[in-house]
Amino acid sequence: MLYWIYDIPSTSLALGMIALFVGIYWGGALVVRPILRQFVRSTPACNDVVGYVLSCFCVFYGLLLGLIAVTAYQNFSLAEANVTHEAAALAALYEDVGQYPAPWGQNLRWALRDYTRYVIKYAWPLQRRGIVPVEGTIRTQAFQEQLLAFQPESPAEEILHAEALRQFNNFLEARRMRLFAVTSSIPVVMWYVVILGALITIAMVWLFDMKFVTHLLLGGLLSAYLGTMIFLIAAMDNPFRGEVSIEPEVFETLYAHMVEE
Amino acid sequence: MPRRPATRSRRAAVRDGWAATLAAVRALGPVALAGCGLPTPTRTVTIGLLHSQTGPVSISATPVRDAQIHAVEEINAGGGLLGRQIEFTAPDTRSRADLFPNRARRLLDGGAVALFGCWSTPSRKAVIPVVEEYRRLLFYGVPYEGNESSKYVVYGGQIPNQQVLPVLDWLQSAAGGLRRRLFVIGSDDLHGRTMTHVVRRALIDRALQFAGVTLVPLTAPVTADTVETIAASGADCVLSTLAGTPALALFSRLAEAGLDPRRLPVVSTTIGEDELRLLRPEVVAGHYAVSAYFQRDPGAANGEWIAGFRREFGFDRVTSDTMETGYSLLHLWAAAVRRAGSVATGAVLQALRDGVSFAGPGGRLAMDPATQHCAKPCRIGRIRTDRQFDVVHESSAPIPPDPYPALAFPGWSCDWTKEGVVRGAEVKLDGDL
Repeated sequence: MLYWIYDIPSTSLALGMIALFVGIYWGGALVVRPILRQFVRSTPACNDVVGYVLSCFCVFYGLLLGLIAVTAYQNFSLAEANVTHEAAALAALYEDVGQYPAPWGQNLRWALRDYTRYVIKYAWPLQRRGIVPVEGTIRTQAFQEQLLAFQPESPAEEILHAEALRQFNNFLEARRMRLFAVTSSIPVVMWYVVILGALITIAMVWLFDMKFVTHLLLGGLLSAYLGTMIFLIAAMDNPFRGEVSIEPEVFETLYAHMVEE
Repeated sequence: MPRRPATRSRRAAVRDGWAATLAAVRALGPVALAGCGLPTPTRTVTIGLLHSQTGPVSISATPVRDAQIHAVEEINAGGGLLGRQIEFTAPDTRSRADLFPNRARRLLDGGAVALFGCWSTPSRKAVIPVVEEYRRLLFYGVPYEGNESSKYVVYGGQIPNQQVLPVLDWLQSAAGGLRRRLFVIGSDDLHGRTMTHVVRRALIDRALQFAGVTLVPLTAPVTADTVETIAASGADCVLSTLAGTPALALFSRLAEAGLDPRRLPVVSTTIGEDELRLLRPEVVAGHYAVSAYFQRDPGAANGEWIAGFRREFGFDRVTSDTMETGYSLLHLWAAAVRRAGSVATGAVLQALRDGVSFAGPGGRLAMDPATQHCAKPCRIGRIRTDRQFDVVHESSAPIPPDPYPALAFPGWSCDWTKEGVVRGAEVKLDGDL
């Protein structure tokens, strides 16, 4: 896939997409349209025919684009919710283990801090490159090892320990979901269909018989909107890549709380 | 023939359209395409941090990893090395010496130009053949027993002539309480046996006499019987080379037996600020530790380092000797790379031999070209109730390293600027036990 597009600022990417589609349309209007029109020139009321076919096609294509856009948005929102959930579970766990007797409480808190710092400073940049970070697992294992070594010595400690274990499982679940989302994206085959649909739409508009300037204007507007839609889907796909992506703000806020007295 | 109305031709419309489009592109291009282009690949230097992050050693090794990450971040924030950012990989060696060679190989195969880490003697011994095979450097920053030198290892920690030998002098001095009988307790491994051998040889012809030795198996706890053995020996001081959990358990057992540190003080070679967090202060206060660095060391560089480390890792983090050495070793390597203008092992090693140094929180660190160890000061600290140390003795200057003290390893020496390690007569470590 063309992952390098995520290294381009969103505004530039959007304008680039629009320019690409408008460029294809205008280029085709100059070069290809005269040839294509040979097929429909002799047909009476050719614009009606092309218009009818185009509207039928656009119903299906519009549905497809709409559904894909919604799916991309849902994936993005879900990944964002998981990140928030992970940070919330981490915060709760940090508070819980802070109640453990010394030195357990301090050791466990340090382990969670270590994890949070790693997520912000090292895991996130890797996620932005579509790489699933692995060293976070070492940190969760280090925490788990210490947590499981703790032996409660009073009923209060037993309750606290049980709650910490429950919260730890919540955290692990959300963390795993985040890692799954790093590589989640719209299947490549769907992209092929979207691009093909856009090209067919453009080709159909080339068939219209109208003044050249009007052609450039109307076709250009349609192509610009197609470019915008495809930009939108691309920007929201791969929730951790690009400028329109999930940021580690919730972890940063939590870490700022953790390191300050 | 009627004249066609004066309208613009299609050719003119196209020409005007193109002109307008080009003008628009020229106007909007710089804005629209700002930041565009294929991403420039970031050039990096990769290093390996080889530490146990789980298992019994993790309590000591993880803070060293943190200190080294801190050093990497400082270097990167300052522009990196030779215009490249440092990237590190830190696999978990799980406190298992048998995993170290495999992890080291993986790091070196992955392009690591140098390794930093190892804790115990078995882990270091396991990694040395790997770095020698790959001809890359291992920077080892933990105090150890000496009797070793490799061309591909830079040793940053104290060795016996910088650590236990000055302790013996101090114990028999007035400041040390004019002690007369010393009991040695250590781990039943190469480290413990070598340290015991060096101490026994050093006690010959001294006022301080050898009262006895106990080597505790690695998996066995320190029991009340061990403490009874110490008490029955008539010792008036104890030298502990125990590492890990048993080192801490010793203090608890002594306190349970009612042995007051004023009557029977323990000098530990392994305990630091991080380990003290795991003990109740009343159990350990009054005993001693020997080290090259304590968190309470005065000095602006130390204060700045601690403040910077806490800003990044948390207000309640403590610093220790192994952390300081690990941090300084990474900066020393970076200084050597800058001096050499290359990350190649030979060039870096030559820069280190040429005297490149780093002014660390605990003092200036430089590699001795002959032994590839570092000159280190000897500080003895009395443990306080706040889990910090009061320095009660400090060497007047950093002590030059001697990995093969003649009193323990006669005929052995090392000079990597000449012929390397000169082997003397075989030394039987078990002969003194």
